[in-house]
Order: sequence, then structure tokens, then C-alpha cells
Amino acid sequence: MEDKELTGEESLKLIREMIGEAKSSYISKGVASMVWGALIMLCSLISWAHVHYNFELWFDVWLLLIVALAIQIFFNIREGKSRKFTDRLHSSISYVWSTFGICIFMITYYQNVIPVQHPLFLYMLLYGIPTFITGGIFKHKPMIIGGISCWILAIISLYTNYETNLLLMAASGLLAWLIPGILLWVRYSRSKKNHV
Amino acid sequence: MFKDLDPILHSQLRLAIMSLLISVQEAEFTFIKEKTKATSGNISVQLNKLKEANYIDITKQFKNNYPQTLCKVTPEGIDAFEKYVADLQSYVDPSKL
Repeated sequence: MEDKELTGEESLKLIREMIGEAKSSYISKGVASMVWGALIMLCSLISWAHVHYNFELWFDVWLLLIVALAIQIFFNIREGKSRKFTDRLHSSISYVWSTFGICIFMITYYQNVIPVQHPLFLYMLLYGIPTFITGGIFKHKPMIIGGISCWILAIISLYTNYETNLLLMAASGLLAWLIPGILLWVRYSRSKKNHV
Repeated sequence: MFKDLDPILHSQLRLAIMSLLISVQEAEFTFIKEKTKATSGNISVQLNKLKEANYIDITKQFKNNYPQTLCKVTPEGIDAFEKYVADLQSYVDPSKL
């Protein structure tokens, strides 16, 4: 790029191109979303099978989420270190998801101290909050729909038994994270192709 | 025709740099170089001109033992950019005057 004077149309075109270039740098790959969605589904379905078929589980399957969380924090720190820019959206979103992580821990702790009648209602209620906010900020409709779906599933869970609620929980992982994550990945791959 | 446009912004590379920086909170020199595909020397000259106009802040520091240059648009820079875009639009489409 040289330092030449531009016409009005050329200047506006350049502004649009550069803003597009910057935006393409912070399109989410959706990997974290896919991993979380798949894990929530897996843990819920294994727990459902455990209740339904009454087989032995030699470890608490939900502990997988803690391992996944540790891996995600590691990759987030590594990605943050290699990132060549900071933007306001990512800073805000990281606060939303940190709040979510803390609340999930608090709810789990609370439920262990005072057992509640419909624990999965609380989890699905919480799943919907960061998903809905992230979808709204990034204008990613599947995430907005996913967030609302979690709240609808949470309401339904008040009228169904624990076994069915585990299936509702699997559905919330699918709708809130797995499907939106796959769609983000498709969007990211397309934007990369367009910039090659 | 463009005599009223801000001369600091009305140059290809400076405008490209400002458009990039307006979209992010803060960016490294290497990010600007990667996106504008200009030479380091040319970018340095234009960054200094933008800094002298008080449109950007430049911070030099070390990251993992390597020098790092961070650039950030100032509130004056945001105002100037917005005015420049509005002026441009009125030139291109006089009905917006």
C-alpha cells in the first residue's frame, strides 16, 4: 500500500475494506462452543443411560467438564498471548463467560450443601444467560435461539422427572452450543476462504 | 474538490491505519503491517504523523524479550475520523449535506 491521495469513493471503499479486515480477525472459530456443547450432551446422555439402564459408573462423568474447563483456560491464555490486537467485544464477552463459570461453580456448591428439587432447572437457566448475551452481541441468531431454548427447556424440566430432565439437558447442550458452534466454524472457514 | 477534508486522514495509508484502529481497542504494529501490506518504514512514518496530530497513542514496550509497539486511537482521533467520513459522504452524495 502506498501513500497516495484518494478520490471520495476510493476512500470510502478503503475504510469499508479495512474495517472488514479487522472484523475478520476476530470472528470466533466456535471450537469452544462445539466442545462445550458436545461435552454437555455426552455427560447428560451418559447420566441418563446410567439412571435408565442402572449400570455402574466408576467415576462422576461431570468431572469431565472440569478437565475441559482447564484445557479451555490454557488455550484461551495461549490465544490471548499470541493475539496482535485487543477489542472491546472480546473483553466484554470474557467477563460474561467468567461470570457464568463462577455461577456454575456456586450453583454446584449450593446444591451440594442444600439439595434442591430441580437442580437441572438452575443449570439450564444459567446456560441460557451467556449464550443469549453472546448471540446478541455478535448478532449470531443460532446462539440467541439457543439461549431462549435453554430457558424453555428449564421451564419444561419443572414438570418432568430427573431422567427426562437429563435428556432436556442434552438438548440444551445441542441447541445452545453444539449447533451454534458448528455454524460459527462454517462462517469462520468461509471468511478465511474469502480472504485467501 | 477535497480541500475541506482533513489532510492528515486523506492519504491512503494513514486512512487505512485509522480504519483498522477504529475497529479495535488496541493493535500491535505487526497487525497493522499484516493488514495494510505496507512496508515497516512507511508505516512508521505515517504512525508518527498520526501521533503528532494527536489522533493515536503509541506505546513501546517489551513482550517476551521482544520489542512491541502498540497503537490506539485517541478520542480526538475518533472525532476526526467521524468528521472525515461525514465530509466524504457529503462529497460523494451531496444530498446528505
